[in-house]
Amino acid sequence: MSALLKVSGLSVAYGAVPAILDVSLEMQPGEVRVILGANGAGKTTIIKTLLGLVRARSGTIQFDGKHDLTRLKSHQIHQLGIAWVPEGRQLWGSLTVLENLRMGAFIEHDEAKVEKGIAAMFERFPRLQERRNQLAASLSGGEQQMVAIARALISKPRLLLMDEPSIGLAPLVVRDIFDLVRAINQDGISVLMVEQNARQALALAHWAYLLEIGQIVESGPAGEISTKERVQEVFLGGAA
Amino acid sequence: MDIFLQQIMNGAVIGSTYAVVAVGFALVFIVLRVVNFAHPEIFMLGMFSGLWTALHISDNLAVVLVAGAIGAGLGGLVLERVVIRPLHGRNMLMTLLATLGVSIILQNGMAIITGPDPVPYPTIIPNMSVPLGPVSLTARQLVNFAACAILLITASYYVRGTKYGRATRAVAERPDVAAAFGVNVSLISLITVVFASLMAGIAAVSVGLLYGSAWAFVGLLYGLKAFIILLVAGNRYFEGVVFVAIALGIIEALITGYVSSGMRDVVTFTLLIGVLYFRPNGVFGSYNA
Repeated sequence: MSALLKVSGLSVAYGAVPAILDVSLEMQPGEVRVILGANGAGKTTIIKTLLGLVRARSGTIQFDGKHDLTRLKSHQIHQLGIAWVPEGRQLWGSLTVLENLRMGAFIEHDEAKVEKGIAAMFERFPRLQERRNQLAASLSGGEQQMVAIARALISKPRLLLMDEPSIGLAPLVVRDIFDLVRAINQDGISVLMVEQNARQALALAHWAYLLEIGQIVESGPAGEISTKERVQEVFLGGAA
Repeated sequence: MDIFLQQIMNGAVIGSTYAVVAVGFALVFIVLRVVNFAHPEIFMLGMFSGLWTALHISDNLAVVLVAGAIGAGLGGLVLERVVIRPLHGRNMLMTLLATLGVSIILQNGMAIITGPDPVPYPTIIPNMSVPLGPVSLTARQLVNFAACAILLITASYYVRGTKYGRATRAVAERPDVAAAFGVNVSLISLITVVFASLMAGIAAVSVGLLYGSAWAFVGLLYGLKAFIILLVAGNRYFEGVVFVAIALGIIEALITGYVSSGMRDVVTFTLLIGVLYFRPNGVFGSYNA
């Protein structure tokens, strides 16, 4: 099976400051992979480079074996079936919940399909239906995360990029979010997640990477990675 | 009492043009984060496009209005692609200075072609007055007001009620997220500048017809007023901008009617400074750069 995503030797710098250096990773269709790393390790930079929001200095990003994402603009990348759940949600706060969902389906020109997608999202997140005409900024953190996920799912992506989906949420909500990611993956959507919540992320992922100061220092099946000393030390609070 | 009402009506007519220019200015600012100092000169280009069309091609009112839209729209298109787009992502002051430069070139370029004085507009709308209860407006005022009202309603509908309008608001708030959800941000920017320019061009022709002249430096007047309106209203709410624009027109008309036209700008600027002292983000709030 050919890789859905293959990142090779990717380096990004902000001015003279390197953010990520020679990062290589890949994803098979249907997988959940997680990138663990501390603040400032370069996790968000990887996601933004995949989305074309940050330009790579060197390296390639192959999607589906044929598209080099480093050569495409963000709106073209989305059309290949890549959707984003940004760090801190980044909803359009001055738009209503419904408008946020419609924007998630921006590339769909068939209005009937858009309506169907919205109905499907309301079925999955009944709370959002109640709140559909409220401004997104007025929602609670957990509800906003639902909007952010629904906004990304409505375009039926093949690859979902999730940037710290659990950050700033109550522990019970965090559990719901991880359950949701599992359900999304069971629907056949591949998920590349960046997380600091290592324990829950590793329980969910098929494969994990450990990113330190812009470089991947460990890589392997999630079960193996969680036993590594370095991961234990940094993320799982000492000896197993 | 009748003079009072009459001046309010006259002021509302003037204010409606201020509103069209100010809304275009605000749209470009909140979507592109660009202070487009050339916007009033785009208005001026529309005014002369209408004038030349009326003189040389057709003096049909609809044709002349459309000509104003086309002239201004083309001006906006070139401005966005040649001046604003290449400076995208640079310091905001760069586009501010670049568009200011364009505005000076357009003002003086037009003055070289048409002379520094106002040029008479052909009479397309008969000079008759239309009684409206205790007051009356001229047919030219009614055309000016109707054109501006239709433009503002169209702008409101576009931004609130259409898919591209929604995307425009999304770009205004979070351009990166909009791009990642499939919005061609560069295209939205272009559409926004052209749309603001089309509006300005149509309003400009109706102003040319109202006062019976076109002038190379007309942008100075309307640009300054639009800028004041945005500082007072803030750029966040469309209705806020329109409200302040109409209010400014009415205040000016009342001062002109009861005090003197010389006091008009004194009062306007005093109000501006007063409002900014207490509400630095404008009365209705602003998106900042």
